[in-house]
Amino acid sequence: MTLKSRLFVTTAAVLFATSGVVFADAHATHPVTGEALASDQTFTYRVGDESPSIDPGLVEDVDGAAVVRDLFEGLYNQDAAGNLVPGVALSHEVSDDGLVYTFTLRDNAMWSNGDTVTAGDFVYAWQRAASPALASPYSWYIELMSIENGAAVIAGDMEPSALGVTAIDDTTLEVRLSQPLPYFPQMLTHGTTFPVHQATVEEFGNDWVLPENMVSNGAYVLTEFVPQERLVRERNPMYWDNDNTIIERVVKLVVPDENVALTRYLAGELDLTDVPAGQFPRLSEQYPDQAVSVPMACSYYYMFNLRDGASPEIQDPNVRKALSLAIDRDIIVNNVLAGGQKAAYTFTHWATAGFETPDIPMATMTQAERNAMAVELLTEAGYGSDNPLSIDLVYNTNDSHRSVAIAISQMWKQTLGVDTTLANQEWQTFLEARSNGDFEVARGGWCADYNEASTFLDLMQSESGYNDSKYVNPEVDALLAEAKTSANPQANYDRVEEFIAQDTPIIPIYHYAAVDMFAENLEGWPYENFEQTWYSKDLYKIAE
Amino acid sequence: MLSFVFRRLAVAVPTLLILVVLSFVLMYAAPGGPFNSERPLPPEVLANIEAKYGLDQPFWKQIVNYVVSVVTQFDFGPSFQYKDRSVNDVIAQGFPVTLTYGFWSFVVAVTVGVSLGVAAAIKQNSWVDYFAVGVSIGAQVLPNFVMAPLLLLVFTLWLGWLPGGGWNGGQWQFLIMPVIALSTSYMASIARITRSSMLEVLNTNFIRTARAKGLPMRRVIWKHAMKPTMLPVLSYLGPAFVGMITGSVIIDVFFSTGGIGQFFVNSAFNRDYSVIMGITILVGTLTILFNLLVDILYAWIDPKIRY
Repeated sequence: MTLKSRLFVTTAAVLFATSGVVFADAHATHPVTGEALASDQTFTYRVGDESPSIDPGLVEDVDGAAVVRDLFEGLYNQDAAGNLVPGVALSHEVSDDGLVYTFTLRDNAMWSNGDTVTAGDFVYAWQRAASPALASPYSWYIELMSIENGAAVIAGDMEPSALGVTAIDDTTLEVRLSQPLPYFPQMLTHGTTFPVHQATVEEFGNDWVLPENMVSNGAYVLTEFVPQERLVRERNPMYWDNDNTIIERVVKLVVPDENVALTRYLAGELDLTDVPAGQFPRLSEQYPDQAVSVPMACSYYYMFNLRDGASPEIQDPNVRKALSLAIDRDIIVNNVLAGGQKAAYTFTHWATAGFETPDIPMATMTQAERNAMAVELLTEAGYGSDNPLSIDLVYNTNDSHRSVAIAISQMWKQTLGVDTTLANQEWQTFLEARSNGDFEVARGGWCADYNEASTFLDLMQSESGYNDSKYVNPEVDALLAEAKTSANPQANYDRVEEFIAQDTPIIPIYHYAAVDMFAENLEGWPYENFEQTWYSKDLYKIAE
Repeated sequence: MLSFVFRRLAVAVPTLLILVVLSFVLMYAAPGGPFNSERPLPPEVLANIEAKYGLDQPFWKQIVNYVVSVVTQFDFGPSFQYKDRSVNDVIAQGFPVTLTYGFWSFVVAVTVGVSLGVAAAIKQNSWVDYFAVGVSIGAQVLPNFVMAPLLLLVFTLWLGWLPGGGWNGGQWQFLIMPVIALSTSYMASIARITRSSMLEVLNTNFIRTARAKGLPMRRVIWKHAMKPTMLPVLSYLGPAFVGMITGSVIIDVFFSTGGIGQFFVNSAFNRDYSVIMGITILVGTLTILFNLLVDILYAWIDPKIRY
């Protein structure tokens, strides 16, 4: 078990670090790096909107997941590089057929009220997350984890108690899967799998997430929660690794306008905020130590409507490929967005773990060669100056999407003489139009659920609920199905990406980057972590 | 008078019902739904959620259930978006915030606006008049979405005197900028209405009579001119007060106060049906109440008006 040995090494490192702390003044210097620490260890950051929920069973958005990771702790955490490190679980064993995982839990994990965290707490939380009674929008995550009977429990065909998770004793948790899933342990850092305190949930119902009621097992406890304004969490003295926590207080402020947030950041009110679209070049010049761009696990693309009865012009793969070739992605990322995004010729984000970007012919060509090829393909398809192609392009209302759409429509016009009609739609209207197939070309964005290429490529499966193009290719389906259980699926992923480049059901345009302003004295941020899975307990502020 | 109030209240009930039904129908007619997202939910998950919120019922049944639970239990249901909260929680948290800064904005707008207007009218065509008119025009052309970032720039970034937003339980530092940003344009309107109304009143016969019999100017203004001057101002104040206490969306968005405006906008974008309904009903009820209040005040101020 390579994972197990890695866990062991990390555990040893953590223990070693802890032993040093006992004698040091906890707040004068950092136990590992020895840096002088600031006297005020309050971390204040901005989010754009209130999270739908901070209940681990219900949490569904990225910002809510960050809050949940601070308040609760699951079986495993991620370190700064995204590797698994022990959380409540110390290690696990996998059966030979890859179907049964047995986790050994630490015996010193405590709830904030002093109760011990047991395997039973996980069983309760997972059954609750899957149950139709809770009706969690993230219950599908349990199904995605391939837990035995997950789908049947969600559909209401089986009782939640039939879910394939059992507490052998207080520190041994057994999970049974319906199929081997090589990345199953990686999925355990998501909030849906975190334990909840049964007695508290049962006593207070929906209100158990209020600061006065909540019992949690993470490095922090909830002390203030005013929706749409602020959420405050403070360190949890009962947390097993509390000695190594440095940040005392974490404040999440809801600031809907990113320019207001930037002003407040510059006034020193925030330690972390997003860089507003288009401002990265200016800010990185003015504040080189603070403006940071890191890869973000999302891909931006345009999709074609390939349903029966959709516009016949775009059913021709050559037309689609010509449109893809004519997009100068370097202009989009360097001039339109200018935030450290990368030009995309594959759907899978370049920084995805274990994924090596295959050699797509288009990627190595110059733009002049691409344009020439595009003109050739489109002429072959029967379009030209006497018979120009016209395309409807729809995107959801947003300044940045508009800029990209305008730039692309200009490229299509100049290179291919294509007339593009741009339309923007309000978000909900857009989603409905897209899922109903009421479009020709539509904007899409997809973010990874976990750090593995299938989180992107599964969208190309004919039956996928997220396949809004309705791209159907049995070969792709077979490759993806095989990849699920394969020890080294890279070859399959390469083939799927080649199909995408050849058939062009979608046009990958760029791979996202997260552009943020970080306070100069804030240290410990996991820039290397592709999913940007951060924990306040790993952060600290140095003295200025 | 009493029968007038009763009549008005009796009309208010069907008005509100029509409002509820109309909003309900419009809301459902809008494309999308509360549980749509970039990644569509698997059908069985969606079915669970729809069952939980009663969205699997026929449309007429939903609307009847809704009205019944609102009328009998004053229960506006759970929020579809904020799954930890009910609509009553959302309103109970957001409305006091909006009410607080709305109330202070109203006080500021009325005090400053009426003073400016009266001063301008009394000293017509003097520098006082020009100053007051200048200020009110300036305030009028600076809408709150321009005011708010300007205030933020000056008081937060440059001077560092005030926090750039938030509410923090309603401490005074957090109140100043929202109140200024919200009150200026109302203040400007009040000042202009007061000024022109006062000018008109000062030229009427009964004022000339009052001055002819030798009353001091101060007494003429306060005792005789003020009440009729306020009539047009009052008819403006009713809706203005509702506008202020139900919150300016821009104030909430800019200063992240956690007020009701932010919830209102988001609920529309998220198709959070129950929150849209709850806040619409709240605003509708307040509008009806304050219009009624203005009508009653009218009768008290102007003896010529009788209902």
